[in-house]
Amino acid sequence: MTRFRTVDLLVTVLIGAAFGVAYLGYGQLYTLIGPLTAAFKPAEGLLAGIWFLPAMLAGLVVRKPGAALLAGMIAAVLSMLLGSQWGWGTAISGLMQGGGVELAFLLTRYRHFTLPVAVLGGVLAALLEWAWEKLAYYQEMSWAFSGAMLACFLVSGALLCGVLGWAAARALVSTGAVDTLAAGREHARVAEV
Amino acid sequence: MATITPPRAPATTGRQLTGLTWRPLTRSRPTIASLDLAIPAGQRVLLAGASGSGKSTVLRAPPGRLGEESGEGTGLLSPPSRPGEAGLLLQNPSHALVAATVFRDVAFGPENAALPRTEIRERVAAALAAAQVGLNPQRGPLEVSGGQQQRIALAGSLALDPELLLLDEPTSMLDPETADLVRESILAAADGAGLVIAEHRLGPWLPHVDRLVVLGEQAQILADGAPGEVLREQRELLQEVGVLAAEEPNAVRPTGTGPVVASLRGVTVPARGLISPLDLEVRAGRLSVLTGPSGAGKTTVLRTLLDAGAPATGEVQRPDPARIAAVPQNPEHSFVATTVRAELSASPWAEDPVLAEELLERAGLTHLAGAHPHRLSGGEQRRLATAAALAQSPDLLVLDEPTVGLDARRRRDVQSLLADATGRGCAVLVATHDPELIAAAGDRFELPAPDPAGPPPAPRRRLPADALNPLTLCLIGILAAVGSFAVQTWQGGLLALLPTVVLAPLAVRTLRGGALRLAPILLSAAGLAWTTALLGDAPSLSHEAWLLGLKEAARITAFVAPGVLALGSVEATALGDALGQRLRLPARPVVASVTALVRVGHLGRQWEIITRTRIRRGLGSARSPRLLAGVTLALLVDTLRGAEQQALAMDARGFAGADHRTWAQPSTLGRADLLGALIAGGLLVWPLIAGMLAG
Repeated sequence: MTRFRTVDLLVTVLIGAAFGVAYLGYGQLYTLIGPLTAAFKPAEGLLAGIWFLPAMLAGLVVRKPGAALLAGMIAAVLSMLLGSQWGWGTAISGLMQGGGVELAFLLTRYRHFTLPVAVLGGVLAALLEWAWEKLAYYQEMSWAFSGAMLACFLVSGALLCGVLGWAAARALVSTGAVDTLAAGREHARVAEV
Repeated sequence: MATITPPRAPATTGRQLTGLTWRPLTRSRPTIASLDLAIPAGQRVLLAGASGSGKSTVLRAPPGRLGEESGEGTGLLSPPSRPGEAGLLLQNPSHALVAATVFRDVAFGPENAALPRTEIRERVAAALAAAQVGLNPQRGPLEVSGGQQQRIALAGSLALDPELLLLDEPTSMLDPETADLVRESILAAADGAGLVIAEHRLGPWLPHVDRLVVLGEQAQILADGAPGEVLREQRELLQEVGVLAAEEPNAVRPTGTGPVVASLRGVTVPARGLISPLDLEVRAGRLSVLTGPSGAGKTTVLRTLLDAGAPATGEVQRPDPARIAAVPQNPEHSFVATTVRAELSASPWAEDPVLAEELLERAGLTHLAGAHPHRLSGGEQRRLATAAALAQSPDLLVLDEPTVGLDARRRRDVQSLLADATGRGCAVLVATHDPELIAAAGDRFELPAPDPAGPPPAPRRRLPADALNPLTLCLIGILAAVGSFAVQTWQGGLLALLPTVVLAPLAVRTLRGGALRLAPILLSAAGLAWTTALLGDAPSLSHEAWLLGLKEAARITAFVAPGVLALGSVEATALGDALGQRLRLPARPVVASVTALVRVGHLGRQWEIITRTRIRRGLGSARSPRLLAGVTLALLVDTLRGAEQQALAMDARGFAGADHRTWAQPSTLGRADLLGALIAGGLLVWPLIAGMLAG
């Protein structure tokens, strides 16, 4: 159960790599909320959840210990190698985000892959990522604004990572692209009944 | 288990499938039902059968790749004791490629078999020669043409001395001339080894095989014997199951000369290899084909015709975007809906529900109207994508290789849809290798063959930083980041940046490249200064607040910049080698991660194709969150479908048991790395010292 077959490994790392590429296209999203974040930086946290998606999808689809963490790390390391403006900070972010999502699945002993668990994973990832960013980037931000930023992070983690990630995993399963993986097999059994 | 193999295993008694039954966990019926098939050593077998007859699945049985985690069955063989005993080539050669260079790709199997480094080199050289690869071993395998990729994949199998080669439509994505050359390479290289070939186009293989096996539903054997005999005696059966094309001519060649709907005049796009001026015109109610060998620039021509953005020279005439529809080579790239019926009206330009219903009928998809588009078979997906394009009632319909990988009957289905389109007065342009489609066309535009050598790889200026092991480069970035936390004042912060400025030339290849890497850092630092001045504890935007902002900007630059500059010299392959050999991290996750990282360029190209496909359907701009979400999902579907094939190809080369593998290239730590480590240590303590000096 815990050993990764080759297909499990590849799906995990490729989810990370695909998001590393997708993030290059997402830069546009930040320009959409640019005017808002220039005046009120904490609002940027509202998009934070999309960075936790590779970990969430890998966790929900592959369902093996370590998948979420590995996918999060691959996406982060790829961003870093492609020249992310946060350098090694990106790798730590990958660890925090992947680790946060992984923690939620660990707490259920990898038995439940439901919407509440996904939301919990998004929230934990948000909490850890916020703590890291507070330490590394926003030391001098007042606690009032840091608190506002945390609130934005948590909302985003719950919705953009938890809910959206869970919906995306379901959409992916319904396409049949992950039929050979744990998530797909469960779907197949349901479909046959 | 990884074991050192003898030079060539003695020929065994071949492979025997007895009472093989297999049901994937996702199906309710078996895809193979009690199949008996004996393949004597050295025999060459051609496996024919309509799409969905289970040919590909049968190919997975001899190497023991049907396992209990993906289905259940009887008569299953276990994986061979020696990695690579049975080699596997896939329809899409890019699925077999795993490494950043041709050399490392072919070395992948021998590495998994834990062979010593000298033997790996010998085997790679021999395999590259046997497969007639003829490329610089340092080229990137994903950057070369499909024919060359298939030869690299062949070399990758040969490096493990297979007794049996299993070929899953290995030439179906290639143009006929390239396919012939690749086929010759395969036949020459197979020399003595057995061959099992699953294929839709029988003709070219027939003279070279000993036996033809025709499979029907659930891989039932319908005919089995010498090729000439089976063809003579079972011709009707072969036509009936869709393996051979029926002889009567298909569509009536349209002869009307409608008005010119779109045209290119004297167009060149030198940046994409289109050098000689091209003239092309597509007329209403007529089928035109664009032909030419792989790499001749067919895709570039289609892009130039379809999308705004002027070519280098020449003129383009095209209808309004809403009057153009395009079907990508991979139909899944265009799908956005969750049912077939919804897919037909997904484009805002598809406004006529009666037409949609009619097209559903014409495409033979009515009984599947409620099915999920991604769950259709390959042939059904092609018809759906084409029908959805026609639902826009376009003036111009453009298709990229619409019949690749389809059997004779499904090729005809696509053809008749196209005939339907021209019948409605639509101008149809198809980029294709398919001889039947070419024969049915009213006009043909042939592109000249490209320069076979391609552009030479750009030489990279060697930097002092390139001499360092990736681990040392990582250490520099990590310790510099840790050290930056000592910055307490703006004076100390600016002084802390001094060594980064001094050392930067050692790690910057070109001025422009360096600027491109540093610009985002400086922009972020400026952003952080602004945020700190605005939202810090000091009064907003006061003098004091700005100085605090300056300190933060200097601190974050000291945190990030050394790492980013050092990472410019880190390559995924060398990093994987270091993590596996020096840090002894588990080999399989490390190698899989490298495999994913080297596909980034490929993934980026897929992202672009998918995005363009959707914009052409009128589904939004590249800034629309909805479009981006759809593109991400489509990229994941494409990538994860590929992952299954890739896993198969990697396991056929011994990756499943490669926990203790060898590495074709050593990860060295030399004197330069000692110096690098000293620099890393210096960057760790310098901000602290700078703070004292400044303060």
